[in-house]
Amino acid sequence: MNAAIEVEALSKRFGAVVALEDVTLKVEYGRVVGFLGPNGAGKSTLMRALLGLVRSDSGEAHIAGLPYAHLPAPAKTVGAVLDIASAHPRMTARAHLHTYAALGGMDRSRVDTVLSLVGAQSYADRRIGTFSTGMRQRLALATAMLGDPDILVLDEPSNGLDPSGIAWLRTFLREFADADGAVLLSSHVLNEVEHTIDDVILIDRGRTVWAGALERLVAQDAPLEEAFLRLTQKEPLL
Amino acid sequence: MNAVYGEVARLSGTGVALRSTLVALACGGGLTLLLALTGPQNAQPPMPDIDTPEGVGFVLGIGTVLLFVPALIGTIAITNEYRHRTIGTTFLVVPRRGRVLTAKLAVYTALGIVYGMVASLSAFLALIVATWMRGVPLGVNVVNLVPALIQLSLAAAAYMLLGVGIGALVRSPFVAIGVVLGYFLFVEYVLMMVPGVNAIYPFLPGGATASLTSFDFLTGAIASQTALTPATMVSPVLGAAILVAYAVIAAILAIFVPLRRDLR
Repeated sequence: MNAAIEVEALSKRFGAVVALEDVTLKVEYGRVVGFLGPNGAGKSTLMRALLGLVRSDSGEAHIAGLPYAHLPAPAKTVGAVLDIASAHPRMTARAHLHTYAALGGMDRSRVDTVLSLVGAQSYADRRIGTFSTGMRQRLALATAMLGDPDILVLDEPSNGLDPSGIAWLRTFLREFADADGAVLLSSHVLNEVEHTIDDVILIDRGRTVWAGALERLVAQDAPLEEAFLRLTQKEPLL
Repeated sequence: MNAVYGEVARLSGTGVALRSTLVALACGGGLTLLLALTGPQNAQPPMPDIDTPEGVGFVLGIGTVLLFVPALIGTIAITNEYRHRTIGTTFLVVPRRGRVLTAKLAVYTALGIVYGMVASLSAFLALIVATWMRGVPLGVNVVNLVPALIQLSLAAAAYMLLGVGIGALVRSPFVAIGVVLGYFLFVEYVLMMVPGVNAIYPFLPGGATASLTSFDFLTGAIASQTALTPATMVSPVLGAAILVAYAVIAAILAIFVPLRRDLR
């Protein structure tokens, strides 16, 4: 069986700025992988390159063994939360989900299923423009889950969630991985993410600086925050 | 077909379809009713009244001045995808961008035709209502109005596509709206007033529309105010061909420009 996500020597420049340089990583099924790094490290660029929104200059990115654009049913394979602002404010949550269900050829019944899954039924018929950040975040997760995917790519999914929302997300991701799903999760909230992830991939200035099981990292430098700071010190990269 | 269903659901969910229909009613029926009730003969300079073929042609033709509105609707709808960042989610669900962009074009062409039909039919009904309220006969046989109403519908679809193309090219809603309004409400009129340059007017979208609908009131009015020789309109068929050519160019831009664009 292929790894859920495999990235090999991926590089990307935006003009003179090197966003990614020879990044290699792997996410296996059944694991929640924390994708960590300082601001501007290249996390979002890598996730967007993985999902075909940004074209890489070189290297390869495969999901379930194929480039994202070649997946026969992309939304049924991968769910992604990249930007919680990505919704039209005049739409209701239900209309938003109907639109993407129709685009992806998903059954309309999935709309109610995912609204229930993220606990958004009570505001499903409200306009998104009236939503709080946490409500938008739940809608973004609902959109990601529309196709009932096996793989999740989540960029800062706990932003704006209240403590109960964060606890819910932690449980949700654990259960998702335990059902043989794979999660690539970026976050800045290290104390929180430490309780959720199995593996860590740490990137800094576009390069992978550490990859492996969480217990190996925190065994050397507990807690996670300390290891993060040590590995991302602003020293010249070799 | 999924991409088409999705785009139709988006038009419905964002309220664009409903608002577009209401705007078409206002621009078609509303404007025509206003002109027909106040009487073109009361305009400055006075124009033939709606009990003559020329008067009916004037009232319907003046509606073509508002064809920038469907262009504006197309522009706003596309640029809103970038403004609200929904384009990224759309390309995640349908990563073959050409497929979803083609679906968008098909849906907006249909919306443009519906806009034109609503505007045309409401203009026709407004004329009937105005003749009844004023107690004057309609200057043309109703059957003779059909070609003009069809021409208006097709022109509205072409303008909607022009707007979609501009929106895909520019992306920023405010800049794109400025481009559409600036071009259709300022640049074309200025070009009509520049000696020598005004000869190209029939080959611009506004001039092609005027040729298609045989509405030369604007060129005539400007010529009379500036002593310029009015630009010679082309045949309605050539006017239609020019409009279609603009719509095709806009469609090509709308598909190929976003195809390789990074969404950061």
